[in-house]
Amino acid sequence: MSEPTSIYADNNATTAVAPEVAAAMQPFLGPEFYNPSSMYEPAQGVAEAVGRARQTVADFLGGVTPREVVFTSCATESNNMAIFGVAAAVPARKHIVTSAVEHPAVLEVCKEMQRRGYEVTYLGVDRHGRLSTADYVRALRPDTLLVSLMHANNETGVVWPVGDWARIAKETDPGIVFHTDATQSAGKLSLDLTGELKHVDLLSFSGHKMHAPKGVGALFMRRGTPLRPYMLGGHQEESRRGGTENVPYIAALARACELAREHEADMPRIAKLRDWLQEELSRRITHLEVNGLGVERTPNTLHVSCHFIEGEAMLYDLNRYGIYASTGSACSSGSLEPSHVLQALGVPFTALHGSIRFSFSAYTTEAEVRRIAEVFPEVVANLRKMSPYWDQKNNLPRETGPA
Amino acid sequence: MAWQYSDKTKQIFMDAVQGKPGTHLGEIENPDGEGQHGSIVCGDAIKFTFRVERNEDPLKDVIVEAKYLTFGCTSAIAASEALCTLIEGRGLTPIEALKITNQDIVDFLEGLPQQKVHCSVMGAEALEGAVVDWAQKRGVDLAAQGVRLTGAGADEDEGRVVCKCYGITEPYLRRKVKELNLRTIEDIVSALKAGGMCGACRYAPGGLQDILNETWGAGEPAPTTVAAAPVAEGEMSPFQLYRKIEQVIDETVRPVLQSDGGDIELVDIKGWKVYCSLKGACASCMGAARTLQLIVERSLKDQVDERIQVVPI
Repeated sequence: MSEPTSIYADNNATTAVAPEVAAAMQPFLGPEFYNPSSMYEPAQGVAEAVGRARQTVADFLGGVTPREVVFTSCATESNNMAIFGVAAAVPARKHIVTSAVEHPAVLEVCKEMQRRGYEVTYLGVDRHGRLSTADYVRALRPDTLLVSLMHANNETGVVWPVGDWARIAKETDPGIVFHTDATQSAGKLSLDLTGELKHVDLLSFSGHKMHAPKGVGALFMRRGTPLRPYMLGGHQEESRRGGTENVPYIAALARACELAREHEADMPRIAKLRDWLQEELSRRITHLEVNGLGVERTPNTLHVSCHFIEGEAMLYDLNRYGIYASTGSACSSGSLEPSHVLQALGVPFTALHGSIRFSFSAYTTEAEVRRIAEVFPEVVANLRKMSPYWDQKNNLPRETGPA
Repeated sequence: MAWQYSDKTKQIFMDAVQGKPGTHLGEIENPDGEGQHGSIVCGDAIKFTFRVERNEDPLKDVIVEAKYLTFGCTSAIAASEALCTLIEGRGLTPIEALKITNQDIVDFLEGLPQQKVHCSVMGAEALEGAVVDWAQKRGVDLAAQGVRLTGAGADEDEGRVVCKCYGITEPYLRRKVKELNLRTIEDIVSALKAGGMCGACRYAPGGLQDILNETWGAGEPAPTTVAAAPVAEGEMSPFQLYRKIEQVIDETVRPVLQSDGGDIELVDIKGWKVYCSLKGACASCMGAARTLQLIVERSLKDQVDERIQVVPI
């Protein structure tokens, strides 16, 4: 078997645009350029294409009503729209429940809400990323406006029972709006907003995590959800999000949703590759922590922390072998602080900076994963040879290193 | 869904459907006044016609016959029938007939469910349309007679469409919100249907909530539904209530579950909501949620308070 030249294992960051998706965009980058709001016939064809795309996305979300789907530019926009929009519509309530491990697109918005006088409860997680339902229940208050809890975590892949939490919120008080950021689960887990997720009011996701290009996302908005739009200026999206429709990208998102349903059937294979790599790395590398161990995770994500070495150095070395992955270490983020997710998980400080995330897609092959299993232990061993915290002679952590 | 109609509403509906003498289903040929309201798209519509006994002075025309064709539910038909009964053969001139309001129709029907108030509004709107039609045919200048139109047909109601599903304009909404004393979005949906289909106009800028706020002021914070369990005289304090709930779970519920190898954890209590999770053998049982609902809720309702609701977690 020939060695792959480059291995892309960073699909939680973004994905390759699928050829089918690129093809679906083409007509709208060419002859079908019209504004869907225009009255003449060719423009009406474009409007119909947007309508079909909306239907496809609605089907992808478990057969919701197409008008419950609002196209946006990305999941960050969807999250902003959800949180700011609900707050603007229901000014009487001033409390938000979220978690300490949300994506910045939720976390930063919640911090801004605090500056605007809201109270925010940031629920913590245990060592493997689980959030206690009892903690969640206790956090709900009579003035709770909104719950925003992610479906799957971008770093660890840990999946949360948001369907059940949404039910609990509604049984506590139907006035509580439940939002979930499903950016990391869309395309990997089924999103059934008429079944398992039927109590969820708002759900955000993005195209580029599921083989559409960057620059398109959607917000599912259940009928009747109080939400005041903030992107004003046009009647598009039922006046809930003004701006001429990004038709090629909307067509791309719809095609990606169709593709995702095909890829869903492939997810057990991906999960098997992930589980195999997890076992292989655990066997070959000592002092390795698997984050999210024994917890339901998205099938494509493996997140590990290696004691006594630094993540960015690992990435750099992997790069030499053409392997592309991601780390939550401080050096890579530009903020000098390790990822808030790893801190919330309570990863031991000796491993906090040595984290790496491999994330696969339906296009990942067994040969690629085997290659990672071969290369990564070497990378770790090499870096440990250089680490002042590692006893090279005995291949063990040193008892005393630089403080 | 079974609506709570008054006996009178039900009777009027039955009589109308069976075409009993004295009912008004039908259409007058060459009517002196004809008014319509609603559309098939909106789910209900009325066509209302009347005939007058003409006088040399059109202002002394008297309505002698009124009929309707209505597409709609029980209360839409009953409201149409009520409208005709209130108008016909009472010696009313068309201008006098305008004094009949939707509230008169509601009173005649001995009340309408909140969700059905729009049926009576529909009748009043159709009446006004018919009077306008009559005035045109008879060359009466309604404005000169001091008549201020209030329905959807009034000129002043042309304006920005707020509810696109039902084609309802901003001036009309603003006027009706005041006239009918509509205080919440639910009130508007019930009375005017605006915002009742897709709901996109409810919280949109310039939408229903804004119109309500501008009319009545932003108002007091909306009451929330989870209040602490209210303590009336002679009732338990929250502390006593929680103690009692715990006691019932410990003494009645837990032993039953434990006999099946399970257990129960009381996680939280908010107002009348009791949050429990099942542990052990019960947790994996398919009927777990139902077990909780049946055993726990029944026990707590019987032994503590009927208002208690169990939320399984």
